[in-house]
Amino acid sequence: MPLDTSTYSLALLRVDGRRWNELRRLHAQIRTQDAADGSSYLEMGHTKVMCIVTGPSEQQQQRRGQTSQRDAAAINVNVVIAGFSSVDRKKSGRNDKRIQEIEVTIANALASNLHTHLFPHSSITISLHVLSQDGSLLAALLNATTLALIDAGIPMTDYIAACTAGSTSTYAAGDDSADPLLDLNNQEEQELPFLTVATLGDSDRIAVLVCESRVQVTRLEGMLVVGVDGCKQVKQFLDQVVREKGAEMVREGAVEKSDAMGMVLDE
Amino acid sequence: MASQQILFSPAELAYLHRSLSLKPPIRPDGRAPTQFRPLTAETGILPGTNGSARVHFSDGTEAIVGVKAEIEKTIEAPRAEESKPESNEAASERTRGDWLELAVEIPGQRDDEASTVFLSEMLREALLADKEFAKKLFINRRFHWRLYLDVLLISPPLSYPLPLLSLTTHLALLATRLPRLKSEGDEDPMFDDDWEASTFLYPQEGTATNGSRPPITLLVVAIGDNVIFDPAKEELAVAETALAVSVAEVRRAQKAGDMEVDSKGRELSLLSIRTIDPPSRLTPPGVPHTSNTGSSAFAPTKLQKAGDQETEGVWKAPLGGTKFGVLDGIIQAVLEKGGVADEVLDGLEGVELS
Amino acid sequence: MADRRRVNGPGGITVPPIYEAEDLPLPDRSRQPNGIRAQYLKTGVTPSASGSAYLEIEPQNGSVSKGMKLTCTVHGPRSLPRSAPFSPHMVLSTHVKFAPFATRQRRGYLRDSSERDLSTHLETALRGALIADRWPKSGVDVIVTIIEGDQARQVAVEQGIEEWDMMNVLGGCITVAAAALADAGIDCVDTVSGGVAALVPGKDGEEPVMVLDPVPSEHEEILAACCVAYLPSRDEITNLWLKGSLSSDANLQRMLIARAVHASKGSSQAVAASLTEAALAG
Repeated sequence: MPLDTSTYSLALLRVDGRRWNELRRLHAQIRTQDAADGSSYLEMGHTKVMCIVTGPSEQQQQRRGQTSQRDAAAINVNVVIAGFSSVDRKKSGRNDKRIQEIEVTIANALASNLHTHLFPHSSITISLHVLSQDGSLLAALLNATTLALIDAGIPMTDYIAACTAGSTSTYAAGDDSADPLLDLNNQEEQELPFLTVATLGDSDRIAVLVCESRVQVTRLEGMLVVGVDGCKQVKQFLDQVVREKGAEMVREGAVEKSDAMGMVLDE
Repeated sequence: MASQQILFSPAELAYLHRSLSLKPPIRPDGRAPTQFRPLTAETGILPGTNGSARVHFSDGTEAIVGVKAEIEKTIEAPRAEESKPESNEAASERTRGDWLELAVEIPGQRDDEASTVFLSEMLREALLADKEFAKKLFINRRFHWRLYLDVLLISPPLSYPLPLLSLTTHLALLATRLPRLKSEGDEDPMFDDDWEASTFLYPQEGTATNGSRPPITLLVVAIGDNVIFDPAKEELAVAETALAVSVAEVRRAQKAGDMEVDSKGRELSLLSIRTIDPPSRLTPPGVPHTSNTGSSAFAPTKLQKAGDQETEGVWKAPLGGTKFGVLDGIIQAVLEKGGVADEVLDGLEGVELS
Repeated sequence: MADRRRVNGPGGITVPPIYEAEDLPLPDRSRQPNGIRAQYLKTGVTPSASGSAYLEIEPQNGSVSKGMKLTCTVHGPRSLPRSAPFSPHMVLSTHVKFAPFATRQRRGYLRDSSERDLSTHLETALRGALIADRWPKSGVDVIVTIIEGDQARQVAVEQGIEEWDMMNVLGGCITVAAAALADAGIDCVDTVSGGVAALVPGKDGEEPVMVLDPVPSEHEEILAACCVAYLPSRDEITNLWLKGSLSSDANLQRMLIARAVHASKGSSQAVAASLTEAALAG
């Protein structure tokens, strides 16, 4: 369904009523599963994903050409997109190249962020389930993975927080005055050029940058700035989720409050 | 199934087998032989689907099922054109099983792996075994609903996921709603946009509730003389026989004034049975103390013979099949009035449908 | 998640060509309810395999049933590849495949879900019969090819009886695989054999009757069917597959299983006769 983007210039409101720099509603939970080493559930608007982390555990027998690494843990990422996740039911096989690409992108981002050298001869398996998709899929998957890895207690340098940024008019329009947009939904993604960006913690260091649509170079910088700014907001949110869960666990006595814990529990 | 590796030593297996063969059996998690693992369930979790459910067993395994329905043109059999136009009744008889598509996703396994296919065929078979289900998808002679059931196991497969997936599917089907049909006869179907007006695939109250309800598939194992329901991984590892039995409740119209019909218990019909290859056949055998050259002073003279005879308390993988009596015992235990199937269905009925 | 990189083909279904239908004879069963079709079984048909067997089930006159032809080859026991983990038992792998020309509608070269499902059933049936701990660290492959399916596939799809047909195919697979395993000299507790029984509505609205070795196209409708893999000398069942709607009357499924066991005794005679013949011929 083509999106009528012309209305944006009138009221400066997007199809779902947001301003250009507004994120959609974020909601997340960690430790949703008792059996898993780490788990999380994340909603970015109507995009809903679940993440389960297993490991670090003994290397399973080599499957599907996974090279066993002798001095670092191997990271296996598995993305399952449920058939019912989009409006029209579409079954994507496990050999879907797009899904494989997402898996590789996530694995590469984590490989540089996790301290895998601490777990030689072992593997960390991340399985992601997409329950509902409405744009910013890769960003949601990255954020959910970060939360689940924190729940699993796997050492990492910093949060990886991701979001998407787009531009208000299409490439063909050649509109130089196009404004950047933050956190696109599915409808906007169909129509407008956009990129997915992930940053490390509060820094401006970029961990992932994926842009697969055609866009004028002059617009790119604006989009990137807005995207990085969005990532900071996302990081704030993820941090808050982790802190709240931590505080709750201390309250319930699941973990002991110690002096070594370098965080302030908001109580 | 066979791909699941069993990481129990022969001594552990022998211990498990002995404690599970006692009367009454002592299960590792302290349950009664007919007791299910406690579970939490919710329905209607995904607004983008026609029906959805999530079930969470106490051992941490979790599954989500989403149901989506699409309209599809019925492909007419060429012969039908020549014959006289059938009545709607007769046409609705010509339903086909492939109107239902069921896919099972298990993390870390390919979806065309034999064990995954086996699971999904088992769930599909139980649904289609009585011809009632496909009739529910009939719209008119030219169109039908095509139902997609996507079964997702969220957690890693800790135990054989069949009961979990089956219960989740049952709930998702109970929660499935289809838009209300506005058009009549054989014209192109038109539907009511109002989701509030949609109808349940399995009506909940009124006279329409008669007929079959969605099936449940129970996993039952026999160990020694005991019949044990909903086995955990350890129990399955020593099971001599494992059967997946699908049953469904059939509700019959109650005649007015017929008070006796209103007795306790429901009428169950058996839909399908499949033997599951128990992983116990792949377990390593124990070595009896007498034939262990490492521990005893004299080496056994006839190694071949020592390997064949069974020693009390030493684990040996079961050999051969199952006696008819044992199979029959399992089936009777499932179908028993007021038995486990009843209990499970009662529990599932308590789940609020949204 | 739209695909922005490639141009994909159109979604939706395509309709396979439908050929003019033959005149079908009316469904009618000429055999007795307790009669099974004649079987021809020969072992040692494939010299390159360590064991093999060929099974043919006679076609029925005046029926759409064209009989069934299956072959099975057994490769092994042979050592497992170096990369495989240690196994204290023989690792059994089963493959069931319809030849592309076996049915009216062409089957592809890749195994579809019904074929995979059949292989799992066959694996369960054979694993119960094998004495697997006599061959640690080794593997055996059992490959069953259905050269000719039971009947015109088109008919089966149209009448919606295709799924019932699978039980017959499985019964044949079990019998032929057991003979091939025996030919390969792999130790089994007994030769397992397959048998099928079904509950069909009686003529002129009478009580439903049980029939052995049902051919789905011979009946208007099948209410329930059951396929067993049976070890005759031990009186044990290694695989049970039952489906259909049965009321809670406990005797019905008991009877059905018993009839299927009875049918499998018939096939086991064929297996025994063929193996004796092969042994005498040296």
